[in-house]
Amino acid sequence: MASVAPSRIAALTRLRSIIFQTSYNPTSQRTGAKYLKRRLRGPSMIEYYPNELSISALNKNFRGLDLVDEYEEKRLQDVADKKKRGKGAPKKAKSAADSRRAQRKR
Amino acid sequence: MPPRPNARVLRDIKARKGVADNEISRRAYLYVARNQSLPAQVRYQAQLQLNTFGRYTRPTTVKNRCTETGRGRGVMGEFGLCRFQFRMKALAGELPGVQKASW
Repeated sequence: MASVAPSRIAALTRLRSIIFQTSYNPTSQRTGAKYLKRRLRGPSMIEYYPNELSISALNKNFRGLDLVDEYEEKRLQDVADKKKRGKGAPKKAKSAADSRRAQRKR
Repeated sequence: MPPRPNARVLRDIKARKGVADNEISRRAYLYVARNQSLPAQVRYQAQLQLNTFGRYTRPTTVKNRCTETGRGRGVMGEFGLCRFQFRMKALAGELPGVQKASW
C-alpha cells in the first residue's frame, strides 16, 4: 500500500471538520471549552436541604408578628445565668498582644 | 419544631449558596485560565483572580449531609439520609418503594 503524505492527511482532517462542523484542533490544544459547556451545578446544589420554617425568619419577613422562640429564649437565659456565675465566655482581646493565646506557656 | 440544623449543616448551606452565587464568574475565569490559545499573561491574571475567591465558592467544599440529622458519613445519596435515618424511615414506610429484604 502506498503511503500517504502527512500533509495530505492533515488536509483531509481539516476538510472533514469543515464538513461535519466540528472544531479543528490538530495539536489537541486545551481550549477551556469544557468549563463553559458543563452544566451549572449551583441551582441543584441549593435545593439539597429542604426548606424549613424558622421563627427568626418569620419574624424577619413579617414585621409585627413577634413570635416567641422558646428554644432561643432558653439558650439566652442559660448564657445569662452562666455569665452571672462567672462562667461566661472570656472577653475578646483588643489586640494580638493581650490574647490568651499569647500568654500561653510553650 | 423540627430539630435545628447544626453548625456543619449551616456551613454547608453557606457553601452551597456561595457556589451558586459565584459559579458563572468562576467558570469564566476558569475558561480564560485554562485556555492555552490565550497569552500567558492573561491566563496568569485569570488564575490570580480565581485565587481571590473565598473558600466557600468552590464546589468541592460542598458535602451532601444527612437532611435529618446533619451526619456527614454514611449518607445515601439517593435519599439524602444517613444509614440509620434511612433504616428508621424505611421501616416506618416513609420511603416509597423501599422494603426490608427477606428471602
